[in-house]
Amino acid sequence: MVAVEICSSAFVNLGRSQARALGYENLPIAVVPHPFGTVDRQIVRQFAEKCACDIVALVCLPPVTETLEDYQPIIEDVQGAAELTIEHAPNLMIAFNRLCRDRFWSDGLPVMPTTREAVSAMLAQTKRPPQQVVARLAPGFGVATVECIAINAVLAGCDPEYMPILLAAVEAMATQRFNLQSIQSTTNPAAVWLIVNGPIVERLGINGKFNCLGEGVWANATLGRALRLILRNVSGALPGEMDRATQGQPAKYSFCCAENEGESPWEPLHVERGFSSEQSTVTVVGAEGTMNMCTLVKEADELIRVIGSTFRHPTSNEYVHGAEPWLVLCPEHADILHEAGYTKSEVKRRLWEASKMQASELSKEDMSRLQSSRTTELGVIGADTLLPISHHYEDISIIVAGGSGAHSVYVPCFGNTRSVTVAIASDEN
Amino acid sequence: MANSILIHNPRAPFSQGSGLKASVLDHLAGKVVGFIDNTKPNFNHLMDDLAVTLLEDYQVRSVIKRGKRVQSIPAPSAVVDELVAECDLVITGSGD
Repeated sequence: MVAVEICSSAFVNLGRSQARALGYENLPIAVVPHPFGTVDRQIVRQFAEKCACDIVALVCLPPVTETLEDYQPIIEDVQGAAELTIEHAPNLMIAFNRLCRDRFWSDGLPVMPTTREAVSAMLAQTKRPPQQVVARLAPGFGVATVECIAINAVLAGCDPEYMPILLAAVEAMATQRFNLQSIQSTTNPAAVWLIVNGPIVERLGINGKFNCLGEGVWANATLGRALRLILRNVSGALPGEMDRATQGQPAKYSFCCAENEGESPWEPLHVERGFSSEQSTVTVVGAEGTMNMCTLVKEADELIRVIGSTFRHPTSNEYVHGAEPWLVLCPEHADILHEAGYTKSEVKRRLWEASKMQASELSKEDMSRLQSSRTTELGVIGADTLLPISHHYEDISIIVAGGSGAHSVYVPCFGNTRSVTVAIASDEN
Repeated sequence: MANSILIHNPRAPFSQGSGLKASVLDHLAGKVVGFIDNTKPNFNHLMDDLAVTLLEDYQVRSVIKRGKRVQSIPAPSAVVDELVAECDLVITGSGD
């Protein structure tokens, strides 16, 4: 059997890179002009005529002899975790950072030198051998060895004690239900959000209180950053190449917080997901962004109503696919709901009902996407269909985080992704 | 050498390619062509137009059109198995 891929011109690099990553570097690719999805029907017919000729030429003629050198490489083919030497540099930090800029190893901010001593200190936090493969990460399917994770942790400025969290987070991202392939290569701004639960939060000083989604705490900042560097340097998603995000979002620099378990009236996320309260865990979420919700409401059902109303927006991926929306409740809002007698599950159920959106809110084109995606789940979908934001109310996820104040946060997810919670191995250090 | 340090490279090893060569066909006449619609806007129209052109102008024997529920998930394995078993050529959409 012969295979041909069709890409629009803006996505050829992604197609080439993915084919190469999957060991099929000579995959024939037929190209249609970009933008393709928004052109009129008649233009598609014109594109099809040319495309048919191209396909025939690609599959029925001897392939042009080509090598990888024919393409502008987007990933330098340096071998594994080799050591490099900077010699006679007048300022080693400047020289190291220049090297990282030149080789696209950095996220754009200054990074820390990945010296032998620093990497060894990171590796000392785990009993796993340095060359053990933790995962292969899409879309480039680079091999995330323990050592490679440690190197990127050093690069990000992590303390060595953070290493077990990163090992667990990489395992979580590689699970199929997380759908890292799409999160990394989509035009959506999706970023990977880390949520840490359990005793490790206090031990390492991970912030789940004031400004926990903002800057200022070393653990939050460097853990989230290390994960992003792993997603660049190991999974190979560089912006404009295999990372096709149209704009991206600031959370792609770093997105990590703890749950404020001490001020939550309910069981924390990891206990809700079957872990012991004494077990530390990390959860990975494919997050589309953050939407602040400021309300001074004091009545539980009114609070649910306004949050549900905030969820509804006609450009939402979540309503098109049925997703896993996230709600970061501030302690004050959580207390209002708890004092009304609502369990976390009951809050989800009421919110699921309160957030239903009429399908007619969507554009004609998005209605088509919706019907393709959710007809099996919802049956015939018409303009009057009330769309739930998720397949089931339990798919709405809630944590309590933040300090005092009447601000909660809606975190829409990418759509076709499900968060994954894994245990942080207690014998790592 | 006082200003020399050794630093680790943060990049992971990537596939260097399998050396697989793209397969080729002598011609399309009499062949079965399969499509996987990635559900991106307009791909369904492109697929329909290509199918007509390949049937009428290139004497393709038949066309099998299949799709995915949404673009951001893989095609079902049953679809992949069917197309591998039935088709001489499979055309897929990727990206936008």
